[in-house]
Amino acid sequence: MAAAGGSGSKRYTLKSRDGEEFEVEDDVAVRSQTIKHLIEDNCADDTIPLANVTGKILALVVEYCRKHAQVETGGGHARSTGLEDQVLDEGLVAWDAEFVKLDQDTLFDLLLAANYLEVTELLDLTCQTVANMMKGKSAAEIRKTFHIVNDYTPEEEQEVRKEIKWAFG
Amino acid sequence: MQFRRGVGSRLVKMAEARAGAKRWEEMEIDVLVKIFKELNMIEMAPVSRVCRSWRMACADPLLWKTLDLGLLKSNFIPTRASPYVWVDDRSDRRLTGVLKIAMALSRGSVSCMIFHFNLYMKDEHLNYIAERCPHLKRLVLPAWNRITKTGICQAIRRWEELESMTMPTILYPPYIMEEISRSCKNFSQLKIMGTFDVNFALSIHTNLPRLKVLSVRCSRLSKDALLFILDKMENLEVLNISHCLITEGPASSSKRILRELDSTILEKALRLHEFFYCMDSTCISCRRMKTDEGLMRWYRYEDWFWRKDEVSSLDLGDYGKLFDEWCVNQVCR
Repeated sequence: MAAAGGSGSKRYTLKSRDGEEFEVEDDVAVRSQTIKHLIEDNCADDTIPLANVTGKILALVVEYCRKHAQVETGGGHARSTGLEDQVLDEGLVAWDAEFVKLDQDTLFDLLLAANYLEVTELLDLTCQTVANMMKGKSAAEIRKTFHIVNDYTPEEEQEVRKEIKWAFG
Repeated sequence: MQFRRGVGSRLVKMAEARAGAKRWEEMEIDVLVKIFKELNMIEMAPVSRVCRSWRMACADPLLWKTLDLGLLKSNFIPTRASPYVWVDDRSDRRLTGVLKIAMALSRGSVSCMIFHFNLYMKDEHLNYIAERCPHLKRLVLPAWNRITKTGICQAIRRWEELESMTMPTILYPPYIMEEISRSCKNFSQLKIMGTFDVNFALSIHTNLPRLKVLSVRCSRLSKDALLFILDKMENLEVLNISHCLITEGPASSSKRILRELDSTILEKALRLHEFFYCMDSTCISCRRMKTDEGLMRWYRYEDWFWRKDEVSSLDLGDYGKLFDEWCVNQVCR
């Protein structure tokens, strides 16, 4: 259900695969390039179905986009000094860091949703978070962290290990 | 349900497991690549050993297009006789190690390689990368002190797709230009760091008449060489002589330094698409050229200074993630 917002900005309803609906303002919706293109090409009704995203994940995406849209418009105040920008940026970085403290499965789905919806900043954030979970770990430790089955034969693994052996003396 | 051997049965098992845990190894390659682009090559090494699909993603050309080793320098002492540097064994082994890991991970995906002006590789290093980067299109190698004529020619012969090279001034340039002309059919961009005289201009004209872009910025440039290039290089579209110390007069006697470009040069340059020059006493690069008497001592200045070029296709931009400061500290400890 979509209606024109009080401030005159258009509103859209995002509908998840499992039928959950989220009403968002135009400036929140277009943080997703995918949705932006749909709107620009007039392919979007007021209700936009997103078949690849569940309600649980879409809620997170909307929360993220809303927060970033809100910070960017500065809550209606004109932003004048560089210092203010910096304080806002630092605030947002801290908010992002809290935001991605998620269990691994949720992070996995959120990353895929950000990729599918082309929310660039959220994709970067989730990719960085996942990459950080790999840093400083051995191959075996990474497999354990991400529950990955080793599909190399022992001979192949030996080969790969030899090839990428860290060669400093 | 049908079970097959090998990979097939694994896929079936994964499909069953899907209801529960998320399968990171089944993630599409292009999404994995977006995650792995956050890693440097040392962090990437164990990641590439995790499973087959991750190894494939780790070798993706999107990650390895540009291998910028611009932060890696040799540990060296300048010497009086050729090759004018002495490099310690450890730093040679360090370079071997870095190249080994980069080549093992990238598996032939590198198309641009960048080295520091104080990285003095040997033929064996050059040969190692020439064998493993068959699709190299751009090479930035400003120090050739320890590379032999045979060494560089053998490498060039393997790089049939080479289009762009940044190289130092060398005493006798024809052989390398001949080799490029013979082996690299699409070669079109050249940058020379050091001095640029008539001999150099002549060997370029003879062997690379189809050159499109030439930069000799921050070099000692003879006016005759400049005129020769402008007159003869008919296919040249872009020329950068910014901050050059332009000299006039015979090689033997003391030369006069031009303060500005005369109208003949400017008129000849009109036919180029882009012509970059700067001879401004207030310009910091020009001032540095003057202080250094026409041979820029890059090591005295900011780390990024030598990487600049007014021609965008020759500018080196930032270092990228593959070999960052963290890697330098890791390998140089």
